[in-house]
Amino acid sequence: MKTTSLYSTSGKLWKSIALTLPMFLLTFVFITGGKPDFSSSSAIFSFVVTFIFFNTLFFLMLYTGKTDRFRAIGFIAMALFFALVFIVNLVKMRGSMSFSNENLLSCEIPFCHIVTTMIIIPIVLTKSIIFPGSILTGFASIASMLVIVIGISLALGRGFCSWGCFYGGWDDGTSRILRRPVIKNVNPNWRWFSFAFLLIIALSAAITLTPTYCSWFCPFKTVTEYEKITNFDTLMKTIVFVSLFLSLVIILPVLTRKRIQCGTFCPMGALMSFTNKINPFEVTIDKEKCNDCKKCIRTCPTFSMVEPGLSKGRPEITCMKCGKCIDECSQNAISYHIRGTPSGKAFTAARTLFLYPAFTLLVVFAGGNIQYGIVLLIRFFSTGSFM
Amino acid sequence: MKKTLSIIGYIWAVLCLLLIPITFMGNNAFASMLAKLPFMKVNPIYSGGEVDRTVNHAGFKTTINKPVFEALIGESSKGFVQVKWTGDKMLPPIINDTIDYDNNGIRDFIIHIDTHTGKTELTPLDSHVLSLNISSKVKDSWLARINLLNPAK
Repeated sequence: MKTTSLYSTSGKLWKSIALTLPMFLLTFVFITGGKPDFSSSSAIFSFVVTFIFFNTLFFLMLYTGKTDRFRAIGFIAMALFFALVFIVNLVKMRGSMSFSNENLLSCEIPFCHIVTTMIIIPIVLTKSIIFPGSILTGFASIASMLVIVIGISLALGRGFCSWGCFYGGWDDGTSRILRRPVIKNVNPNWRWFSFAFLLIIALSAAITLTPTYCSWFCPFKTVTEYEKITNFDTLMKTIVFVSLFLSLVIILPVLTRKRIQCGTFCPMGALMSFTNKINPFEVTIDKEKCNDCKKCIRTCPTFSMVEPGLSKGRPEITCMKCGKCIDECSQNAISYHIRGTPSGKAFTAARTLFLYPAFTLLVVFAGGNIQYGIVLLIRFFSTGSFM
Repeated sequence: MKKTLSIIGYIWAVLCLLLIPITFMGNNAFASMLAKLPFMKVNPIYSGGEVDRTVNHAGFKTTINKPVFEALIGESSKGFVQVKWTGDKMLPPIINDTIDYDNNGIRDFIIHIDTHTGKTELTPLDSHVLSLNISSKVKDSWLARINLLNPAK
């Protein structure tokens, strides 16, 4: 038996529209970057499509009371369009997806948020950043990305992994391909591996003064940039990252319906877990409403819902606030909550206050990429080339 | 007390709501401030180290950096020195240079670079000079890193 929704916007058209209006402004600002480009028909078309896409998703979240169902659409689209735009830009700038010695020696490598896990110990001990990027200039400079990581950590904690990470959409998407998992009962303790791996990566990077995860383990090199294959060493690295992409991002998520890369391997995810403790938004479980069906445990894509958590009334520290368990709970026992506020009350306020920053983050990272990605697709289908 | 906590919780949540737009809209300003912090510099292993001196030749100049012996704590027993050649107008087809990397008046190595093919030959003249690490064109210059033993170790 399905109970009525927790949220007072659910099924209320005008209330949902009214709450979507501020998102109109935010999406306009962040999709256009404050400088609308209506110079061509494809630019206007891509802007309109992107603008409608995001505001429809946000409206549907409010109107239906479902979070993950609509978040996932935007999140997966972000990952796909980010890869498309990033690769096309690289090929335009460098002529290929690979970076050369010249790029490394010129310190022109874009700084990705995952590198944060490897620079902390060297910053303390050597007072410098162990990455061949630019501190302040160029695309994805180190200072700019660190500001973003700090801001998001304070605002959303590990919510970043389900609302802002431009890689996460890959295994979020592949984990939804099959309706039922082929591999069931994966031990949830695998989630602690990411913490062990974080420790290994942080220490190995400090000892060798090399961003070891980027050099050897990042599966997403397959869909972004990688070191040019010039010797046996770079060939081995390529084999490793392609194998990791196929296994952790494609095959295992498809078979388990879990976000294996994000939930068990990503060192940045492990680091972001700690920031869950320093921001106001959390997911809570009402033990009185819970009928112990354990659907949330089976559904959680990151092994964050476990039996001890159910009895404590909250998921594990690794929760990415995707909202999947909230959507699936037929008893309305799980909800977003703001720390300090009374439990079991003001569900709509807590959820809406979480959705605004979380969805804005999604729009910031995805908006420009989806808009430009549409322009690229139009160009490709009309001329046969992305260039 | 419960009401106070509740008010603090909502204020905190509203601040977080504002934090995301502020983070991105003010990114340039915040990044500039962050970049001024003393640890915000690229490690010499990647930047090549500080410039030590520049030597002018007919048609090109040689920039020699300070040797880099970076380690997590203290200095490493091995490192490198980065040398860069920049042409007045364009890079000479052949670079043949003798380098005294530690500026002690004694030549340390001879390097021969064919800038068309990239073929680089290193002749060590000092026991601390080990081998060629990398030799590559970088924008309008040619850059080489030569592996060294740390004399202090």
